[in-house]
Amino acid sequence: MATIPHTSPFTHNASSVRKVMLQVQIAAFPALMTHIYFFGFGITIQWTLAVLTLIIVETALLKLRNRPVAPYIFDLSGLITVTGIVFCIPPESPWWVIVSGVTFALIFGKHLYGGLGYNPFNPAMLGYAFLLISFPAELTQWTLPSEVSGHHISFIESFHLIFTGQSLNLSFDQLTGATPLDEVKTALAMGVPVTTTLNSTNFNGEQIPYGWAWINVAFFIGGLWMLYKRAIRWQYPVGFLGSLALIAYVFHWIDPDTYAPASFHLLTGGIMLAAFFIITDPVTSSTTPLGRFIYAAGIAVLVYVIRNWGAFPDGIAFGILIMNMFVPLIDQYTQPRVVGYRR
Amino acid sequence: MTTTPTRTFKQKLILGLSKLYPMAKRALYRFHGGVFPRYNKELSLSHPLITDFIPKTLVLPLQQHVGVITEPLVTLGDLVLKNQLLANTEKGLAAPIHAPTSGKIVAIEERTLPHASGLSGLSIILESDQKDQAIENSLDVDGSIPEMPDKLKALIHRAGIVGMGGAGFPTFAKIPSQKGQIKYLLINGAECEPFITCDDVLMQTRANDIVQGALIVAQSLGIEHILCGIEDNKGKAIKAMQKAAKDTNVQIKVVVTAYPMGGQTQLTQELTGIELPAHTHAIDVGVLMMNVATFAAIYQAVIHGNPLTSRYVTVSGLGLNHPFNIDARLGSSFKELALLAEPKTPLTYPLIKGGPMMGIEMQSNDVPIIKTTNCILATPPEPMEEPMPCIRCGECMDACPINLLPQQLYWHSRSHEFDKVEELKVFDCIECGCCSFVCPSHIPLVQYYRFAKSEIKHIKQEEATAELAKKRHEFRQERLEREKKEREDRIRAKKEAVKQKAAQKASAETTETEKPKANAAAAAAARAAKARAAKNGKETPPAEPKLSARDRAIAAAKKRTDAASKPTESNTTTPTKKQKDKPKDPKAAAMAAAKKRAAKAAKEKHSTQADATASTETDATDTTDTMKDKRAAAVEAARQKAAEKKRAKQSEQPENDSLETPSVATKPSDETTATPNKASDAKRKAAMAAAKARAKKQQSKTTEEKT
Ligand code: SF4
Ligand code: SF4
Repeated sequence: MATIPHTSPFTHNASSVRKVMLQVQIAAFPALMTHIYFFGFGITIQWTLAVLTLIIVETALLKLRNRPVAPYIFDLSGLITVTGIVFCIPPESPWWVIVSGVTFALIFGKHLYGGLGYNPFNPAMLGYAFLLISFPAELTQWTLPSEVSGHHISFIESFHLIFTGQSLNLSFDQLTGATPLDEVKTALAMGVPVTTTLNSTNFNGEQIPYGWAWINVAFFIGGLWMLYKRAIRWQYPVGFLGSLALIAYVFHWIDPDTYAPASFHLLTGGIMLAAFFIITDPVTSSTTPLGRFIYAAGIAVLVYVIRNWGAFPDGIAFGILIMNMFVPLIDQYTQPRVVGYRR
Repeated sequence: MTTTPTRTFKQKLILGLSKLYPMAKRALYRFHGGVFPRYNKELSLSHPLITDFIPKTLVLPLQQHVGVITEPLVTLGDLVLKNQLLANTEKGLAAPIHAPTSGKIVAIEERTLPHASGLSGLSIILESDQKDQAIENSLDVDGSIPEMPDKLKALIHRAGIVGMGGAGFPTFAKIPSQKGQIKYLLINGAECEPFITCDDVLMQTRANDIVQGALIVAQSLGIEHILCGIEDNKGKAIKAMQKAAKDTNVQIKVVVTAYPMGGQTQLTQELTGIELPAHTHAIDVGVLMMNVATFAAIYQAVIHGNPLTSRYVTVSGLGLNHPFNIDARLGSSFKELALLAEPKTPLTYPLIKGGPMMGIEMQSNDVPIIKTTNCILATPPEPMEEPMPCIRCGECMDACPINLLPQQLYWHSRSHEFDKVEELKVFDCIECGCCSFVCPSHIPLVQYYRFAKSEIKHIKQEEATAELAKKRHEFRQERLEREKKEREDRIRAKKEAVKQKAAQKASAETTETEKPKANAAAAAAARAAKARAAKNGKETPPAEPKLSARDRAIAAAKKRTDAASKPTESNTTTPTKKQKDKPKDPKAAAMAAAKKRAAKAAKEKHSTQADATASTETDATDTTDTMKDKRAAAVEAARQKAAEKKRAKQSEQPENDSLETPSVATKPSDETTATPNKASDAKRKAAMAAAKARAKKQQSKTTEEKT
């Protein structure tokens, strides 16, 4: 660990990749707590599984690639990846879902491209997209918030569900159901207007789904802290949330029966997770300030399109992966003006 | 820029905010990016300025500036007084060197220079007698302010003043010759590098010198606005300067403490709002910026007739127990001063010249302080974090004061896509180090840019050489063909003449004989023209910039002669072979000239002019003193080297000369070329120049012939 620079600068502001990643991990804590509160301890089991998988897979791959293991595992970037996936999958999904998802993400999303810094696609979203396509059934069966199911799942129950697929006392179907996004979409397909769905029992008085809203708020708080810590750039959340809110608002205003209000869009699914934790992944996004904004706004548009007209309930994974492909192009056309040059 | 109350309110607001969110400070100034390193300025400020230290030996490199090397005017064993002129040259851009104290010249030899590559250069070694006897008013001034820029320039030149902020460009060459060309005279007192406090102390102790120096320049150049920028972490300096500037039109502007505020582009923008356009000199947009130390030196020269022989230097660093500032004699050793500051651990690590952001690690600690040295930093190396891959976080981009894309520059430099690197304007990078400073992956970004810059220069040279070789080849082909044709023509003419004669004999028809004769006549005329051209080439050296060294001109002329006469020589002489013999003659001539100069210098030590012409070869031969001979040869060798170096540098100079700035704004382009292969580069360049000259000559000749 002792390479001394022989050219200036001879000083550093003491930041490091690990510190940045650690900040991101810490910022996810409020959301984790909220998640546990509403959906039970399933997520902690999933997270432990994911971390174990991460350690095994990363070590194996780094060894295979003849890289030093310690610095690259302890840069904690893998941790952020798995955390992203963990938050995306249903907390009671079978154990092999998270294991295969993490493995796929790390192999195809990261190490095949040369490891940290070289991957063009967001590894977490690549893993998640892989799961969405491979195990659609498992991924849509989301644990119902305790307010809805009337039952708070215990740790033991979660454990059982994840490893055996069976519940101890209640049937699996009673505990899980479609996510609010899915519900709205299915209802729409059957001709039920959005407003009616939003007033059903799964949603609170503000037409906002239980549980989800609070998790999103928790992510939002963690995100603000990261902004303050400069772990992430403001262009991502502002571009993403701003664009999404604007589009949702316009469509809702045009036809409230078909299009859910902006508040619903902002607070369901993994919007806040995406806004602050996923799209902010610097490796796979644009590097120029304007580029970041365009990138974030592009994802927002895609998410809205997929949510309303696509085949998948939530479009975050695909929105991000598609925009990942445009990053080199965006970078090229958004270079800032260099001091001393006219545009 | 006027500090309106609303702005101060906004400033207060942001400053308050910055307690919560430090980066908010970036909104306080006009340039982009910037960083806020730990300044550690209190280290050297906590001990008093040392003024009375005279080292036993002083090493005075003959080149302490951008330009050509000076020639010694003293010889071994000479006793000199303080302020006495020791070395000067009329060969081009240079700044003379004066004795920093009284003593004896004990050697004139190669010594390691304070340079990144650890190269050595000819230096005068002065052993002080500790008496410090000085020649008062050695520049012979009457204390009046020169009314015309030219007079001021000449005086500044004689005083040996160079940009003391770091770049070391001779100050006189920076000053325009016309009155009224400059709108803003900017005094750079920002001193944004951590640890360095020499300008701070200078402003505290000699504020009047600085202000008066600025007024002198302003009066002589007819400048209306004089603005002085000082960072707000130098309260005492600000007070002192405000006091000194009272009742003058020098405005003291307090600027925010942010690195690199002292950069020329950055401070200019901060003080005037003018964004210096790329590839233009600051004076072209009416801005002249100089460091506080430079102004103080100008004052000393103009009013008291004192040349530049000492400067304030900060000796600081975390490895020293007693860091201080010192009014150091030029030529003092780094090591000696560092030892004076009581190092905590033995100085087994390299000292750094300059500050931690832009400083240069020395190859040897026993190097002298020169006119541009502002700081000696002794910071024991710490284990650094291993560089990680770039995570594209964009911190570097947010920090870049030039608004470049450091991450992309790095990416392409790494993969050797130099065309892209150039497109991304790597040559506008001031190597301030902000990007490396903030990179969470600890990538030595600036190192990559330096590498890319030197590679690009290298590639360009190679391309040019190849192009030249191609042209040369084509010319040769053309010439061979022409000569072949001429020969054939001659033979045919002869044959025809013979035939004609025979025919004449046979018949009495004479009408047809005119034609071939005309042919032969034309060929003869062409030959004559060639010869004439050759002569012309010798007599009229080209109008080259005045900084071109004489030997270069001679060499060029010689080459031209050779080139011009070549067509008449045998075809087998290849250009490369010719080139090899060439340097001999001009070298001999120059050597003789140097000898002559040395002899003259020995006789009249005070003469500033030692102009010798190439025609004095015969005079020089009677200088038999072997010692002198040796020295002259050494001088010559060094000078030759310098000339080469200068040639290598010449392409960069246009960039460089706008750059007296602060530790920071120096576009350290000369540093980048200072790689070990510099010499070979320079040689190649020289060869290239010669070849170019030849090619040009031939071209003009062929066109001449054609017409
Ligand atoms: S600061 Fe370092 S890691 Fe971040 S984008 Fe720049 S080069 Fe990459
Ligand atoms: S070193 Fe160059 S690229 Fe880096 S911040 Fe300074 S100017 Fe920008």
